[in-house]
Amino acid sequence: MLGFLSARQAGLEDPLRLRRAESTRRSHPDVHKYSVETVQWYPHDTGMFTSSSFDKTLKVWDTNTLQIADVFNFEETVYSHHMSPVATKHCLVAVGTRGPKVQLCDLKSGSCSHILQGHRQEILAVSWSPRYEYILATASADSRAKLWDVRRASGCLITLDQHNGKKSQAAESANTAHNGKVNGLCFTSDGLHLLTVGTDNRMRLWNSSNGENTLVNYGKVYNDSRKGLKFTVSSGCSSEFVFVPYGSTIAVYTIYSGEQITMLKGHYKSVDCCVFQSNFQELYSGSRDCNILAWVPSLCESVPDDDDETSTRSQLNPAFEDAWSSSDEEG
Amino acid sequence: MSRKRHRLVPETFGLKRRRELGDVEADPLRGESGSAREAVAEIVRLFPRVLFEDALPPIALRSQVYSLVPDRTVADRQLKALQEQGEIRIVQLGFDLDAQGIMFTEDYRTRVCDCVLKACDGRPYAAAVQKFLASVLPACGDLSFQQDQMTQTFGFRDPEITQLVKAGVLTVRDAGSWWLAVPGAGRFIKYFVKGRQAVLSMVRKAKYRELLLSELLGRRAPASVRLGLAYHVHDLIGAQLVDCVSTTSGTLLRLPET
Repeated sequence: MLGFLSARQAGLEDPLRLRRAESTRRSHPDVHKYSVETVQWYPHDTGMFTSSSFDKTLKVWDTNTLQIADVFNFEETVYSHHMSPVATKHCLVAVGTRGPKVQLCDLKSGSCSHILQGHRQEILAVSWSPRYEYILATASADSRAKLWDVRRASGCLITLDQHNGKKSQAAESANTAHNGKVNGLCFTSDGLHLLTVGTDNRMRLWNSSNGENTLVNYGKVYNDSRKGLKFTVSSGCSSEFVFVPYGSTIAVYTIYSGEQITMLKGHYKSVDCCVFQSNFQELYSGSRDCNILAWVPSLCESVPDDDDETSTRSQLNPAFEDAWSSSDEEG
Repeated sequence: MSRKRHRLVPETFGLKRRRELGDVEADPLRGESGSAREAVAEIVRLFPRVLFEDALPPIALRSQVYSLVPDRTVADRQLKALQEQGEIRIVQLGFDLDAQGIMFTEDYRTRVCDCVLKACDGRPYAAAVQKFLASVLPACGDLSFQQDQMTQTFGFRDPEITQLVKAGVLTVRDAGSWWLAVPGAGRFIKYFVKGRQAVLSMVRKAKYRELLLSELLGRRAPASVRLGLAYHVHDLIGAQLVDCVSTTSGTLLRLPET
């Protein structure tokens, strides 16, 4: 659903009120039957988007006509899917389902025959690296997070180990990234680090090239989601932040130091997902209370010079100014 | 007519408890900005050795180190460095995958030597344990050991590994991999879990589910708290099972809403 908000990227003229650009009605013949879990714009332009749902399908939509261009059917419910944002040589969509195999669907040919084996339980989150177009990270309910090179036939590259133990063939099967299900994955914007959250209420930062736990400690990151948790990182800030849904608030941490900056309170029920728009530096979050909130950074007011008359013009955005006045003469 | 009552009614009946101006124990949280090693040493001092008749090495928990060292990332990195230098050993305590016990390597080696050798004098696994303590402990500082590491690098046979598990030095983790363990730690874990629940319930039963730290430490420990209130309070604060709010009367412990 947050995919609709990215319509702002396409340049809607009213920046202050987000309007629903389009939506498929429930009577649309191709609408999903159960809850839609993941929506993603085609990375290169907004002519197409993909959506996957608990009704075991991944649907590819044409934005202009709002018709389905293609459907991929699976045997199990689909938890998450992702298309690589930097891919030029392939159009693979990685799909995580309730089965232990990660499926790669090819948009060009319409087949989903490429399978990555290695996990033992359901795959809760998948994410392509924003740096290398063939590197994929997957997170599963069996407490493991794996990094794959999809060109390699023999298996995953690295299984992340939270204890940073010795790397050996036999150890791979015992390595766990978290002490519970691994719920969410997010690469940092430069692709050099990977963040994972798990149901053991921890978030860990990994070096994505060698799979080492950087031991940055964010404290207790409360997570009781039974599905995936979609969190996001900022890009373009001087010290990057990670925004994680934390119950009915959103916790903001600095990525590399682990310090908690603030908790954004605004939703009434648990927050499911959040997405960062780097061009406007805004965060959008969706929650179970049927609201999508847009979080704007509060700009600090400039100190007025001593010479000038104190400007009564408020620094507030004109949209937030009240139109009524409290004096009796004016209306 | 001055029949005014010059004393307030509560004073007459002696209801007001005068606050003791005696030795207020310095807040355990204040003034600790030292390193992880000092934090571990401090907790080790709080550990009740007499309770276990010196059979167990003094164990500190990772969460307690977090309560003493304010920045968790720094604490983790320092602990990792100490582990690599071989000064401390970290073991997985069975009850919670998050709770890891930390002890100084020297303590661990001496206690395990004494305790295991005393318990199994003459039994077949004395030799295996001796070999383990002499060859594996100094070489490998990890929490867990793998099958091929044990058989090839250190030359243990399968029956010997079974003896190590029986002696309590190793605990099974997965097929072909084991955690390092402290023999006889079962009693400690039992007291610890019961004590943690008891201290948490003390905070839970308080009005508004919050207690001043100084008041909590001043109360009499219930019978199920054998390891000491201060020991458990450090663990609760570090594990974020209670929120620490600093107020003008000192630190307040409050149960989180979720």
